[in-house]
Amino acid sequence: MTFPATAPRLALSLFLGLAVWTSGFAKDDAARIAALKARVEAIAAETTYVESVTKIQRLGRAFGYYTDKGYFGEAADLFTDEATFQWGVDGIYKGKPRIRELLTRHGGGSLTDGPGLPFGRLNLRMQLQPLVTVAADGNSAHARWREWGLLGEYKKSATWDDAIIEDDYVRQDGVWKIAARRYYLNFEAPYQGGWAALKPVAGAWPSAIARDFPPDAPAASLYQPFPSVFVPPYDFAGTLTAIQSRAPFTAPQRAADELGRLEALADAKQLQLARTHSVRAIENLQAMYGYYIDKGQWKRAATLFSHDGSYEFGQSGVYIGNAHIERALSLMGPRGLEAGQLNNYVMVQPIINIAADNRTAKARWRSDVQLARAGKGRWGGGIYENEYVNDNGTWKFTKLHYYVTFWGDYDAGWAAKPIPMDPQSTTILADKPPTVVYQSFPKLQIVPFHYDHPVTGKPMPGEHE
Amino acid sequence: MLKRTGKYLGSLRRLALALVVASLCVPLAHAQGSADLKDLEQQLNGLGDRIQRLQDLTEVEILQHSYGYFVDKAQWHYLADLFADDATLEIGGKGVFLGKARVFEYMHVGLGPIGPRDGLLIDHQQFQCLPTIEPDGVTAHIRCIAFVMSSGGWGHNYYEDTFVKVNGVWRFKTLHGPFNMYSGYKVGWLDNTILNTFPEKWPPWPDLPPTVIYLTYPNYYIEPYHYPNPVTGKPMPPPSPRAGGEAFGRALERISTTRAGET
Repeated sequence: MTFPATAPRLALSLFLGLAVWTSGFAKDDAARIAALKARVEAIAAETTYVESVTKIQRLGRAFGYYTDKGYFGEAADLFTDEATFQWGVDGIYKGKPRIRELLTRHGGGSLTDGPGLPFGRLNLRMQLQPLVTVAADGNSAHARWREWGLLGEYKKSATWDDAIIEDDYVRQDGVWKIAARRYYLNFEAPYQGGWAALKPVAGAWPSAIARDFPPDAPAASLYQPFPSVFVPPYDFAGTLTAIQSRAPFTAPQRAADELGRLEALADAKQLQLARTHSVRAIENLQAMYGYYIDKGQWKRAATLFSHDGSYEFGQSGVYIGNAHIERALSLMGPRGLEAGQLNNYVMVQPIINIAADNRTAKARWRSDVQLARAGKGRWGGGIYENEYVNDNGTWKFTKLHYYVTFWGDYDAGWAAKPIPMDPQSTTILADKPPTVVYQSFPKLQIVPFHYDHPVTGKPMPGEHE
Repeated sequence: MLKRTGKYLGSLRRLALALVVASLCVPLAHAQGSADLKDLEQQLNGLGDRIQRLQDLTEVEILQHSYGYFVDKAQWHYLADLFADDATLEIGGKGVFLGKARVFEYMHVGLGPIGPRDGLLIDHQQFQCLPTIEPDGVTAHIRCIAFVMSSGGWGHNYYEDTFVKVNGVWRFKTLHGPFNMYSGYKVGWLDNTILNTFPEKWPPWPDLPPTVIYLTYPNYYIEPYHYPNPVTGKPMPPPSPRAGGEAFGRALERISTTRAGET
């Protein structure tokens, strides 16, 4: 008789117990699972995005390592079958075989045999300063690159080259390829005299290669090379995407249940991913700054700083705030530069460290500088120690500090004729004096490292015998 | 009463039955939820591996780039600390140095005392680095360029290095830096190119002979890529002698190079 009375109670307690135990699955846990699923999908999409940026960087660098040693077929294989390659103002070459021949002819390789380069041929076209964005669909992308070339033929010629590359990419069957390249040659300058000795080009200036090897279509746009100042178009939408990653995010305390453990796991992965994404965003930010500075685009460059950001160049002193930074940048020259002025700041060798919470970052960079002013060429070199902030998902400079290693006269070289740093401006006054007082080459000093030694984990204050 | 009780018990029985059925259903829903969670955890861990690879790429680049900054200012202790205890180093034609202590010796005895010396620029810029993380997650490779701006002039060299991750920290396992082109400043690489180094050029002496004998510019040498073509996936073809890809020892009479250090 007790059974019928006990059974409902047992069943009730069994039900209630399970309902409590699985509370999430019954009601709000279903929502929690759905939310977690959505987060996993978002993490997957963002991982693919960062991987795509990385693969496109790899593609551009692999191109450089092929052309510099005469692997022109392998370089052409990085393009789609229908790809286009616009060389300077020469025109557009279409398809892999034509691109292969174009690269071979410009690189001085053999049209019948390869890979390789003949004795005495130098074709070092270094591919630097990538600024990569991937479209929302994940299947097309864009990048701007800087090519810095050392070209020549032994005992016949030695030449510097300077070009901006604008690339479109597509992903075909999961593989990223170059779909269209616009190669904006700025100059090929003989080593003797360098770029500062180049004369203005009047009218058309097709390369000698184009005369023997005519393109398939005319160039989409014409321009004059250095000493004219030409800004290759920034042919991409979503500029801001390039310098964005995940906005700062504080994960809530997760429940102590199984689902909470997974939510916490997702939090950790999402943060780790955001920090790798931020590395790419800061690479893009620094590259973007460099491309703007190259062409005297002071306002654009200054907007890359936070409102209280600071700028210090050599012994310039410290300038604070976007408007003042813009004016400080204009110490380099008039807006847009004048014909004959070269202001190349190559951004290379980054060491980017993102704070554990993805809210701030620090980075060390190297910059080589190629200048021309009033017909005189100049080399420069130095190191940046910069700081950045994640401003609601967009990375900005909070501190840019360039330490000058050397300035040197082009003709005599930095060793024979080093040039001292400019003193503080007396026309556009700094907000604060220089944070570090030093002299550039022939004096040398170690620029302080913002990061601990990557293997020992110890700070690097300097070292002794 | 009995009837009512029976009625009551009857409804209790129906309730019990319903609750038992419901109780059986809840674990079913729970089983479904568990399967979802297991699947989500697997997905997260899979993504975690990919995210870790992305982080690893940055970490090995930081090692390579730090190497360049340490050479700049002759920070040999910091430089040697980038290497695993059993690492090897081979630069130019000097041969192979075995172990971290000998890496330090190569720099300290061969290149000079610790710290920058006024008037002596030795900037070793690291350009165009192309890192690869192997599927094992603890082995990595990098191809990189050292673009040298020194008091003497220019240098353009390659690296094909390997890294090993020990206790979660990447270290250099092998550094291999074949020279490509060195020239003085005055006329650049027009004809003032500098010969490769060789084992007894200056102390310290190597532990092993060079792994490859090659000539620098104006001759041709290509250091093999550690990676296949990123689009075709094909391995690197050898250079063709007919294209000048095997210029070893050719046209010596045409070369009037200066020996390193005599510029």
